[in-house]
Amino acid sequence: MTEQVLQQPRYRRPFVMGQQAGLLVILIALGALFTAKSPGFLSSFNLFTLGRSLAIDIVIGFSQMVVLATGGMNLSVGSIGVCVVMAGGYFMQVAGLPIPVACALALALGGALGWLNGVTIAKSGINSFVVTLASANLFSGAMLIATKAAPLNALPRSVGAFGQMRVGGGWVSPMLLVAILIGVALAIFYRYSVIGRQSLATGANLRATEMSGVPVGRRIIAAHALSGVLAGVAGLLTVARVGAAMPAAGGQDWLLPSFLGPVVGGASLAGGFVSVGGTILGAALVTTIRSGLLVMGIGNFWLDLFLGLFLLAAVLAQHYRGSVPWRRRSREG
Amino acid sequence: MAPPLEGGLTLRWVPNTDWAGLLAAIVIGSAALAFLSPNFLSEFNVYVLLRSVCVGILVAFAQMLTLAVGQMNLAVGALGGMVAILFGGMMEAFGVPLWLAVPLAVAIGVAGGLVNGLLAAHTGINGFIVTLATGSAFTGVNLGLTKSAPFYKMPHALQDFGNGRFGAFPFLLIAPIVVSPLLALFLFRLPAGRRLLAVGGNSEAAALSGVSPANAIVLAHCLSGLLAAIGAVLAVAQLGSAQPLIGSDWLLLSFAAPIIGGTALAGGYVSIFGAILAVLVIALIQNGLVLVNADPYWVQFLLGALIVAAIALNRWRARPIGLGW
Repeated sequence: MTEQVLQQPRYRRPFVMGQQAGLLVILIALGALFTAKSPGFLSSFNLFTLGRSLAIDIVIGFSQMVVLATGGMNLSVGSIGVCVVMAGGYFMQVAGLPIPVACALALALGGALGWLNGVTIAKSGINSFVVTLASANLFSGAMLIATKAAPLNALPRSVGAFGQMRVGGGWVSPMLLVAILIGVALAIFYRYSVIGRQSLATGANLRATEMSGVPVGRRIIAAHALSGVLAGVAGLLTVARVGAAMPAAGGQDWLLPSFLGPVVGGASLAGGFVSVGGTILGAALVTTIRSGLLVMGIGNFWLDLFLGLFLLAAVLAQHYRGSVPWRRRSREG
Repeated sequence: MAPPLEGGLTLRWVPNTDWAGLLAAIVIGSAALAFLSPNFLSEFNVYVLLRSVCVGILVAFAQMLTLAVGQMNLAVGALGGMVAILFGGMMEAFGVPLWLAVPLAVAIGVAGGLVNGLLAAHTGINGFIVTLATGSAFTGVNLGLTKSAPFYKMPHALQDFGNGRFGAFPFLLIAPIVVSPLLALFLFRLPAGRRLLAVGGNSEAAALSGVSPANAIVLAHCLSGLLAAIGAVLAVAQLGSAQPLIGSDWLLLSFAAPIIGGTALAGGYVSIFGAILAVLVIALIQNGLVLVNADPYWVQFLLGALIVAAIALNRWRARPIGLGW
């Protein structure tokens, strides 16, 4: 039983026909368009800043993706992110802990908050939407009460220096490498590890997976804890980029990017299917559109309109591309 | 509002309604606030309190209708913001008279809802994603048109309506008082409303009984847009100007109020009175925190706690008859 749920389809679509290839084509076309309109788009400085925001968007997308995999949602990605931002800032600036210790503690807090979400969802059986809606408020509210919304901007210099650091010919931010590394780890996790396969199976069909002897509750809890840690990573990357711990980071602003990346990348809201590469490309699309509109001088005001239309177009394309072979197959069968 | 029909008026009935806990919270909370701060029961404070719930009630209704049919409307605030801007813009920039601008604004809201509904019902894409995308697009239109600058020159009649009051009764409250019974009539007595709830309760069973789920979904999104548009017009009247930020903080309230009020997230069951009381409780918390000079940051935390408490209460009530979520 489990095998069938977990098995790869026998026929794999060639890459050129897949969704990722489509995204890549759109991405290259957009990049070419923006470069043609304003040559500054491919400047090493613009690519560097683009890479930094891309890194954050990718990790935010991953944070949502791991929960989507199990068929849930996490509306508290931004709230956990900002809690980790402020906790990290506190550990570094006020408690004076060494940076790696402070980061580890802050990420542990993110994991703990996500774990709390997961336990509540798994033990009570309440919809993850409601639980994380409530916890998003609890987390953000507690953070505001504890910090009085005051930013911490006397962090150790090396934090900001990491955000300014450039590698690989001056246009790659190490933050982007962090995001890609996490992506590789997640891809291996979902493709080859038992727990990863079981998490996907949980999302695909909760009851069947449970019947097959998989502890689905623990998989859901683990997914939420992982989501919390990833939201925390995104938060710490934000701290590195700004060089300060701002209470305005994260929150509701992360809601849209957190869904955009995975969903444009092909993840199913119903669970059971995620694509790490797609999430990266989806986030890249968002970042490219945002940066391109800025470079072309259209400004940030129309950005939301374009993002919304692109999301809609991408989802529609995915839907109709997916539905054609399905119809043919059902007719044959 | 549906269960009492079967339960009858017994002693067990009152604690078994969606709103009994909320009503108790309001009474106890008001008594405590009146005790803590003599200003609480002053005519002006009651007016301020009631005025602050009008937009919220419409926003909660807008979300409640999509929840009723088993959908979600993440674009509720974005649509409201776009309607508010177009409403203010057509009056200031094109001199459209108020009597024409209000129906036009409502029509824009319905049109936005129609787009949501058609996409959600006929493309097979999850309504969550559809409204996430259209919400972003609506916000983009709003910000793109205004460049974040508000329209200030609103007709005096609108501003007078927004600020006017009989004693402690704000004129703005007329809108929810008119809309609520109409909504109850629609959902509980009219065939279209019953179909909407039937689709939300069990879409397949409704389809087998000859009800079109697609039509019900489109209708629910249209009405959601209509209610969000009314909320937007009220918000413009209340603020006295058409601010691009109108609607940006609606999303959370729109889900919190119906859920606290007992509406089922999965669809098929709504509580109009519960949603109204939930908005009142939230307003009371905000008002109370101001009166006792507490940290305003507590609002968000308490709202989260309130959602948790409401879910726990609902589950406790559902326990004896074995109804899960």
